[in-house]
Amino acid sequence: MSELSKAYLHPGQLFVSAEGYAVTTILGSCVAVCLWDPVTKIGGINHFLLPSFGGEGIASPRYGNIAIKELLYRLTQLGSQKHNLLAKMFGGACVLEAFRQRQHHLGTKNIETAQELLKSESIPVVGHDVGGQRGRKLIFHTDDGAAWVKAL
Amino acid sequence: MAMRKILIVDDSETMLKVAQMMLAKEPYEVIVARDGAEGVARALETNPDLILMDVMMPNMTGFEALRALRNNSQTSTVPIVMVTTQAEAESIETGYVSGCNDYIVKPVDSVELIAKVRNLVGE
Repeated sequence: MSELSKAYLHPGQLFVSAEGYAVTTILGSCVAVCLWDPVTKIGGINHFLLPSFGGEGIASPRYGNIAIKELLYRLTQLGSQKHNLLAKMFGGACVLEAFRQRQHHLGTKNIETAQELLKSESIPVVGHDVGGQRGRKLIFHTDDGAAWVKAL
Repeated sequence: MAMRKILIVDDSETMLKVAQMMLAKEPYEVIVARDGAEGVARALETNPDLILMDVMMPNMTGFEALRALRNNSQTSTVPIVMVTTQAEAESIETGYVSGCNDYIVKPVDSVELIAKVRNLVGE
């Protein structure tokens, strides 16, 4: 791994940078969407807990629909071009064996939200490691989109 | 159907009250314990459907209590959510290795708490 500055991303937060960072986050049923522009090498990542903001509570990047739009906005503000952006997505585990047969646990809903929004924004998903039974430790490089996942 | 039981383990009276208030509108029986050792004892005594476990507590930390519960056949599969501070969240990998199912970072958001609890009790 190259020697990049390091950052830790907490649930419900976003990280965006025009300089290369290695961003670490830990995911259970949460999902992280990573976006980067290979031309400008600007990239960013979110870590959302809940699928879509439905008017209850505070609208924040804890919700997938807000976290993805905010990430996209901040990347373009930094100078990346939307048509250059590529995506990877991670997380959305069903962490209890007893519920693996259920179609719509929280992790699945989070994954679907990310898939639908990225599709509607016409951003190609070039890598993913989603679903499954275990939490994940993710390290994402904002400059070139490289990602490492360790099952926990 | 019997009411589902949620065990909250935290040494902060404020946190216990906040979590109880957040869960008050839900159809759960809420049980509390004020340190890790009491948490293990209450879990064995009450067989909760879900445990919300603080990390830093006297007598026995949340990670120690988590390991003790996972090593007991009676509680080896009960869903356990670690409730951490932002600083502790960076070591949550330890919690996953020890067998926690998910984690929440303080200050706890009520929508997030209820969504995770519902998800882990199978609703």
